[in-house]
Amino acid sequence: MTRPRPGTLLTAAATLALPLLLRDDHLTLYVLLGLSAMVTIGLSMLMGYAGQVSLGQASFYALGGYAAGLIGVHGGPTLLGLLAAPAVAAAVALVVGVPILRLRGHQLAFATLALQLILLSLLSDATWAGGAIGLQGIPHLSIAGVELDRDIDYAYLTWAGVAVTMVVAHNLMSSRTGRGLRALATSETAAAAGGVPVGRYRLLVFAVSAAFAGLAGGVYAYFVGYLAPGSFPVLLSVQFVVMAVVGGLGTIWGGLFGAAAVTLLVQFLTDFGTRPGMPSYAPGVLSYAVYAVLLVLVVLFLPQGLVPAVRKRWPWPRLVPTRR
Amino acid sequence: MSDPVIEVEELTVRYGAAVALDAVSLDVRAGELVALIGPNGAGKSTLVNTLSGILSPASGRVTVTGRLAHVPEGRQMFGSLTVDDNLRLGAWRDRDRSTDRIYAILPELAPVRRRRAGLLSGGQQQMVALGRALMGRPRVLVIDEMSLGLAPLVVAGLATHLRALNAEEGLAVLLIEQNARLALELCSRAYVLEAGRLVAHGTAAELASSPAVVAAYLGGAA
Amino acid sequence: MSEFLQYLITGLGVGCAFALIGSGLVVIYRVTRVVNFAQGAFAVIAAMTVSSLLGSGVPHGLAEALAVALAGLVGLLVGLTAIGKPGTSPQSALIVTLGAAVFAYAVEILIWGDQPRSFPGLPASVTVLGARVQSHYLLIIAASALVFLAMALLFARTDLGKALTAAAANPYAARIVGIDVRRMGLLSFVIGGALGGLAGVLVTPVQQVTFDGDVVLVVSGFAAAILGDLTRPAATLLGGLLLGVAQAMVAGYLSTSYQSEVALVLMLVVLIAQAARRPMIQEEPA
Repeated sequence: MTRPRPGTLLTAAATLALPLLLRDDHLTLYVLLGLSAMVTIGLSMLMGYAGQVSLGQASFYALGGYAAGLIGVHGGPTLLGLLAAPAVAAAVALVVGVPILRLRGHQLAFATLALQLILLSLLSDATWAGGAIGLQGIPHLSIAGVELDRDIDYAYLTWAGVAVTMVVAHNLMSSRTGRGLRALATSETAAAAGGVPVGRYRLLVFAVSAAFAGLAGGVYAYFVGYLAPGSFPVLLSVQFVVMAVVGGLGTIWGGLFGAAAVTLLVQFLTDFGTRPGMPSYAPGVLSYAVYAVLLVLVVLFLPQGLVPAVRKRWPWPRLVPTRR
Repeated sequence: MSDPVIEVEELTVRYGAAVALDAVSLDVRAGELVALIGPNGAGKSTLVNTLSGILSPASGRVTVTGRLAHVPEGRQMFGSLTVDDNLRLGAWRDRDRSTDRIYAILPELAPVRRRRAGLLSGGQQQMVALGRALMGRPRVLVIDEMSLGLAPLVVAGLATHLRALNAEEGLAVLLIEQNARLALELCSRAYVLEAGRLVAHGTAAELASSPAVVAAYLGGAA
Repeated sequence: MSEFLQYLITGLGVGCAFALIGSGLVVIYRVTRVVNFAQGAFAVIAAMTVSSLLGSGVPHGLAEALAVALAGLVGLLVGLTAIGKPGTSPQSALIVTLGAAVFAYAVEILIWGDQPRSFPGLPASVTVLGARVQSHYLLIIAASALVFLAMALLFARTDLGKALTAAAANPYAARIVGIDVRRMGLLSFVIGGALGGLAGVLVTPVQQVTFDGDVVLVVSGFAAAILGDLTRPAATLLGGLLLGVAQAMVAGYLSTSYQSEVALVLMLVVLIAQAARRPMIQEEPA
């Protein structure tokens, strides 16, 4: 592993200190932002390297959430639930990935969307999972007898989750597999001709991105304590796409900053929209408009995304000289 | 001497940093058959695409007087449409899209007018491409690699049509060809383009007896 | 028997709406290679427009016509965003249309709020071979049949239709003969918008519409269109009818809760079956 850059250490330190300074409602925002980042980093890899548009990434978020939530509700060890969340999501991704990853572009977009709609419909009918009303009374997470019941506990849990996600993603990308994936992103035919097992690598990225989303869903379940099919609308999947595109596809930091930028912007507009005197529909209208405008503007005018564009202008200093 | 229908002055075209055409000047006068010969990658297609306005020049001037029609390399059929539809679309800019005139000029097309263009032979497709270009009643025709991939007999048939169009309707032609022998037989004047530059021009007879042209394009001793 | 016939007719009616949305996708895809995710939004906007126009006293017929025209205009706007900038790839354009669909949510909530809307269609019921059905379903079927006939004539009989096909089949040759490929693409978005709008206008009296109902509509339309590989209108019509009837039968004989899965599962099966017929680049290293 390469030594981390100063920017990485600085960001890590700042985000570790931040929860100590935040009010409760801001801690909630911190947690949700981090969970979005975990999903987005996976989706960004999937879209950037495997060249796949997934409009159903919230399915894996939901699967992780329900896996953790069900284990918790039935009195199982919540730590097991937290571990089961990414495992279940990845397992489902492996199973559905075999047939649907043969699809390309718009076909895959619609297939993943269809899978999410089917999942939501199944969850609404599943009485054992609370049906349309949802799963209530999910306990807090307990690790070695210590119950995480304060928001700040979940802030640090989320921080750790994001860190794990980034490290796994970084190692995957700088491994032999990652090089193969980069070749895949440039030209599928060339990658295949060069001996890259295209199908298997694509499935791997799909499963890893699902695991990230599943883990985020698990944390979400124990943090919020309540899940329903309505918590995972199609629009949530679209939101992850917006975050990934805005940050810059195929970049780990892009996933983090895309999630942060979009979450904070939407929160700012929601605060603005809920001020006295604003109509009741204002927050909804503003957030839809922001997702839409950001997505369109970035795709058309900044197709690489924010982070690569900024890096091109102001390259990060590195402690270790890079070999190029 | 008659008026020029195509006048290219000091034309330079670039793809990014690469120079595809470097200060090329040539002209085609009304009613004239002119050839542009040269090897693959010399910039011939770049010139054609600049003439029909698909590429824009980095510097220099292109003046076309009257209507120019383009018979593109590779025939470029609308494969799922019929021959008749392909011809009609050749007059997309005009009100009159009647195809009868074309079947009179190119009678070979009449029996296949209802067939899908994509299912025709290469020679028939080249005929459709020619007919489609004629639909717009051009003053000058730019024909890109007409003979490519066609049997000699088929090429001879196309050449006969071009001679007749030139003699009877005064149609000017700029023929872009790798097949120099055909080009020099059919045309009265020719230019030689190599690596984006004009390296020779003159009457067909002059070029056909130039040792350099003979060695490079006419397969050694003539 | 009369029950079966009733399901069949309602299924055909709803299927026509799917087919109209699907054929809008097909027209746009054929000309631009863009899958327009905002296709469902055209239906929602047109339906909501009709409800407003009727509410302010505009008579039936005129209200519907105005709404379809508006949907065509919205189609033009979506087209300008999606393909107006030179060099936008179809993949990027798909994401842009996704953005357009979300933007439509903002506009719809701003104008019409977030509650479901509907408006009355043909009021009476008729008896067809012993089955009582709302006559509005017959109106949907008749109107759709006319529109599909007009579309078939446009593409098979007019130079404009040929030029639309030509722009898609060979853009280079199209430019050579002077067809403005971008303008053809925008025109296809206008037609797609109007077709989507018509679907919304026709189906809303029997199925109320919400601002986010576009997702189900675009997915159903896509499911219909995918049967014809997104390029064949006739197969799309067939696909839409099949889907509508299958849904009506499932809802009638099994349970309404499985109704929406019919389109989704059918779409997945068709997509996967089509992909299985195409060669995979390389599954395993040699």
